[in-house]
Amino acid sequence: MAEARRARISSPASADGADGARANGAEVVGSGDGRAKPGGHREATLYRALAGAGAGDGRSLAELRADALRAYRSLELPVWRRSGFWTTSLQKLQLDALRGPPAPSGTTPAVPEVVERTLPRRPRAGRIVQSANATVQLELDPDLRARGVILCSLEDAFREHPELTARWYSKRLTIDRHKLEAANAAFWSAGAFLYVPPEVVVREPFEIVYAIDAPGVAQYGRTLVLGGRASEFRLHEYDLGEDFEGQALHAGAVEVYLQDGARCRVAQVQDWGAGEVFDVSTRFVGVGRDAYCHWLPALLGGHLVRQHLELAVSEPGGEMAFRGLLFTEEQEHLDVFAVDLHETGPSEGDVHWRGAATGQSRASFEGLIQINPGAQRTHTYLQIHSMMLSPKARVDAVPSVLVSADDVSASHGGTVGELDEAAIFYMQSRGLDRPAAVRVIVEGFFEPLIAELEDEPLQELVRSKIEGKLAAAREDIEAYATSR
Amino acid sequence: MGEDITEAEPHERANAGLFLAFQYPVAIPGVSVANFLRMAINAKREEPIGVKEFRTQLAHAVDLLDVDRSFTSRHLNDGFSGGEKKRAEILQMAMLLPEVAVLDETDSGLDIDALRTVAQGVQRLHDEQGLGVLIITHYQRILHYVKPDFVHVMLDGRIVLDGGVELVERLEREGYDRIRQEFGAGEAGAVAAGDGGG
Repeated sequence: MAEARRARISSPASADGADGARANGAEVVGSGDGRAKPGGHREATLYRALAGAGAGDGRSLAELRADALRAYRSLELPVWRRSGFWTTSLQKLQLDALRGPPAPSGTTPAVPEVVERTLPRRPRAGRIVQSANATVQLELDPDLRARGVILCSLEDAFREHPELTARWYSKRLTIDRHKLEAANAAFWSAGAFLYVPPEVVVREPFEIVYAIDAPGVAQYGRTLVLGGRASEFRLHEYDLGEDFEGQALHAGAVEVYLQDGARCRVAQVQDWGAGEVFDVSTRFVGVGRDAYCHWLPALLGGHLVRQHLELAVSEPGGEMAFRGLLFTEEQEHLDVFAVDLHETGPSEGDVHWRGAATGQSRASFEGLIQINPGAQRTHTYLQIHSMMLSPKARVDAVPSVLVSADDVSASHGGTVGELDEAAIFYMQSRGLDRPAAVRVIVEGFFEPLIAELEDEPLQELVRSKIEGKLAAAREDIEAYATSR
Repeated sequence: MGEDITEAEPHERANAGLFLAFQYPVAIPGVSVANFLRMAINAKREEPIGVKEFRTQLAHAVDLLDVDRSFTSRHLNDGFSGGEKKRAEILQMAMLLPEVAVLDETDSGLDIDALRTVAQGVQRLHDEQGLGVLIITHYQRILHYVKPDFVHVMLDGRIVLDGGVELVERLEREGYDRIRQEFGAGEAGAVAAGDGGG
């Protein structure tokens, strides 16, 4: 199926029928004068892919930090709009009241309890844990270290492996699209760095953990992962918050570069707990020649979360599977902008997200397929399925397709559903009580994606988190069922 | 004279030993037949069933219904043919071992081989496990494979005739029309009952 050049195909699917909205590639394209007024970020008609700010332009880390600091000082807290019916605003974040780096001295760094109780006990290749803005745990399988694998803080990587950081740091991530991105680039400390050398195959996962266990923290997480030629590995990122009262911020930036023939499975479990945690993060995964990435973020909680996720096939023969699941509850607000970017062809893309919402939570997912000029023989498909579990919950799904090549296929689809009463009755007639039947349906809804994690301990963790959310929203779900 | 379950919740009825085989079983995407069976079995147990015990039971039930082992790893009724759905119903019945099973037009939409398998499975559960069965049907053909102890004819929501197997033979000879003429117009169906032996 050939698309017209610069064709835009958009069909917003909104649970409450908020139609008529134009599905734009909603992202802020650097404002001309570098000054953005609150609420002044109207959506750009055309999305411009993350172009990078560091590697290759010769700036040192200190120079990049200084440039980012200037941007930080000149920018207001960001607001994102999705035409007409969606706004993500950081106006309620009291940034000045939060404590960023450096980590307070004189305290003994400890692994937060939330990390101990959440992460599965299982074999692993290595683990790095950052609490607030300090590294609190670092482990690496000695055999892997002997084979050249590097796992350390990003700060240490700048000291000990400058040839790698100079080449890759911020190669695609930008530093000044909005204030919190600038804050991350200016202030990050500790961070995580993983390097898997060419042809090294690692079965067990590398775990990179960011945790916030107390209010009042501004955590600037920064991760750089390099998969060498024909390497194979798994990366599990955890973003975890303790249940506390008060505000905290995680402004994260993750970049993963897979070189020729590398194969990587990236999974992320994010659950910031019951605190008033703001999470504004950007993640970029670049897939090289004949490389493959399976990427599955599980976004399972946070007071206000804005995720910019970009998976780019940058060299011919690259292939990716972009999966994701999201589950919001209570008053949570989740904004996902996911880009399936094809910079060259032939390439294969497959995007499949599923979301559910309870309470008065709101989730908006915009999925953009972008096929650049010259990315011929690209084939990609985007599907988004959502399930409403409460009368006041809302999930918006906005697929967009932006095509600048004529020998490609790109399509999208999606569904919006509610609990199927016939299925509930069927299961009840087999002896399951109603809450159990609801749980089976919702878990079944997510199961196609959970199964793709292909990692039993992680699957169990995601299932149990979903189960916990359903149990917490039990009355709400019942009220919805009886009101229909 | 037993317990009145008319007002009970569906899962309470099920856990009291009643099983309803649906005419149109609902698909449960994302949940395998085996996992669903395990959950249903555990719903009425204090302790969850052991892995080995469950596997043994499942293997027996699968043999009874002449289905492939891979059947139990497929998502329940999701993309199943009509025959597979009915087999899945009987498989659940065999695993859950109710006291009384109501088969609501389980025979409709089945080809002759599927009908034979399903009916023979029902008969064996009756003979071997003492399962009480109430078969609701419009047709006689299922009665070629199961031997009812009692037959009742229902017309307009009312039982108008009671008997044994000979009533089926009469119906086969005369059709429902004669009964309609006798008792007034309406849609007629037969109810065949197998005594649970308990």
